[in-house]
Amino acid sequence: MSRIRYTIRRLAQTVPVLVGITSITFFLIHAMPGSPVEVMLGPTASEELIAEARAQYGFDQPLYVQYLSYLWSAVQGDLGTSLHYGVPVTTKILERLPVTLLLLASSFTFALGIAVPLGVLAAKRRKKPADHVSRVVSLIGVSTPNFWIGLVLIIVFTYRLDLLPATGLVLPWRPPSEVSGASTTLDVLVASARTLIMPTIALGTLQMAAVTRIERSSMLEVLNQDYIGLARAFGVKEGTILRKHAFKNAQLPVVTIVGLQLTSSLGGAVLTETVFNINGMGRLIIQAIRAQDFPLIMGTTLFFGFMFVIGTLITDLIYGYLDPRVTYEGAN
Amino acid sequence: MATGSSTAGDSEEEFEARVGLRYTVERILDDTSARISLYVVVLITAVATFAFVDSTLLDYYVANTYWHNPLSASASARPLLPPVGLTNEFGTGTWVYPLGTDTRGRGILVRLVYGSRVAMQVALVSTVLGMVLGSVVGAVAGYYGGWTDDVLMRLAEVVYSIPFLVLVIAFMTVFGRDLTIAMIGVGLITVPIFARLIRSEVLSVREETYVEAARAAGVRDRDILLRHVIPNSFAPVVVQATLQMGTNILIVAGLSFLGFGAQPPTPSWGQMLSQSRNYMLPNPWFSIWPGLAILVTVMAFNVIGDGFRDTLDPRLND
Repeated sequence: MSRIRYTIRRLAQTVPVLVGITSITFFLIHAMPGSPVEVMLGPTASEELIAEARAQYGFDQPLYVQYLSYLWSAVQGDLGTSLHYGVPVTTKILERLPVTLLLLASSFTFALGIAVPLGVLAAKRRKKPADHVSRVVSLIGVSTPNFWIGLVLIIVFTYRLDLLPATGLVLPWRPPSEVSGASTTLDVLVASARTLIMPTIALGTLQMAAVTRIERSSMLEVLNQDYIGLARAFGVKEGTILRKHAFKNAQLPVVTIVGLQLTSSLGGAVLTETVFNINGMGRLIIQAIRAQDFPLIMGTTLFFGFMFVIGTLITDLIYGYLDPRVTYEGAN
Repeated sequence: MATGSSTAGDSEEEFEARVGLRYTVERILDDTSARISLYVVVLITAVATFAFVDSTLLDYYVANTYWHNPLSASASARPLLPPVGLTNEFGTGTWVYPLGTDTRGRGILVRLVYGSRVAMQVALVSTVLGMVLGSVVGAVAGYYGGWTDDVLMRLAEVVYSIPFLVLVIAFMTVFGRDLTIAMIGVGLITVPIFARLIRSEVLSVREETYVEAARAAGVRDRDILLRHVIPNSFAPVVVQATLQMGTNILIVAGLSFLGFGAQPPTPSWGQMLSQSRNYMLPNPWFSIWPGLAILVTVMAFNVIGDGFRDTLDPRLND
């Protein structure tokens, strides 16, 4: 089966998952105590006003009618209007999304940039200092709460050394006129980099640790295979073996872990964005839950689920590229 | 999903190490870092148990009589003192409050000690809940296969696709913001992790001769599952449960940090970190200690978990 047909089939398989996400969130939020309309209008609102608002948002209809009509509009790309912000949910998501995507991209770059070389080095120099360093780094990395890393970084780099700003995130493509203290595009880029450094480290450390670990063990496993021994017997140089024969084959488990880390990163982004007061998707979803903003909660979780589904799909496709033995045929 | 992962448990013939708990524990204790970690876990468990007993049964009798009350400050206490020997704009740290004081003049050490209770209690209960429910779900799915398997695994995928923290927060918004709800929430959300794990184990155990023999002898499915399949698939679950303790402590800390854990004045590590956020300039130590407590505890569980894994899966223990 061709890759395109496989992709289409996999996309079709994601539909039940997305429907599952919407139904779980839908029934969970409708079980929330208090009505969102009352939260929105405040305690002083009259009975008539509440009834009117309920009718306006369709909350007076039976649950299954509300659910089906939500699904129907969602399919058409309409996720409803946020009760709290009064703007379409899609608008709000698109406004916050670039911030979180930038944060995720930079934290994954940071994580892979350190983890891959460190893991390979650790496998190559097993039981030598480099290996011990990699073990300690990954152990501490998986054991430290990311929001605490953020706090410690702020203490050191903002309060003690006065080097980096503690709050906000400047998008690098904003025009200079909208960024305070910036007059040229270069200023914006610098400001963006300065605001990005600490959140990136805070969010990326866990990923870095997890990938280092898996990269090391996967490289070790591949280096123990017969064909590597054969290459050595033929006198192929150790560096060539590592680069040409071992590296690519060792990346399958790494890709799996990176794919799975996407969701936990989104969870981590909730905390990182809180620590650094960054207005991204993570804080948006918490604000939505706090304000009982039903459409916004639905929209953001659906979107998170969608990103996860796309992430796993990409993971599967990378598999095929890395390992030609992976075929896209059959169910398993 | 095409997951060609090569993690624990797919080479049965190498499992010579599976000869009882005692052997496993002895092997782990051979390793210095694992031994230290075990001491750390025992110590923190003891501290947390003490804090649990004193706070729930004795109404802080021990703390009030022999130490400070973790919930309210004494009249003479000053806020935001640094650790002993250091000086900041609020004064010099003394041995009365070795790690300094928080914004209300309460001792940070005493609050850390009583905060350990929340971390350990929630992590333990939620891990056991997730492990038990997950094992049952995974065993049923793996043993029976067919549509049961399909439905359960799709459901697991749905839960997987939303960040844990977000799901627990939504769950707590529905059912209430207290600790019991947090325990149930975190437990339920980790069910898929254990379910997937034990399912893949069961799939291989199911084909073993002794299971076939039991079936031929007319043993009921439920008994085969409980007596033969689950016990023989359990090694990786123990590893996962130990590591999950660490992860759950991190989740609980994150929840408390966002205000969804133990409610003030009951201390918890995450909540202390959240309270310290506005005072990082005058007294950074206030932010340092609770994080260190979390780090040390989680690290200890991770080291022990790795130790278990190395012992139970000798393939990785090269």
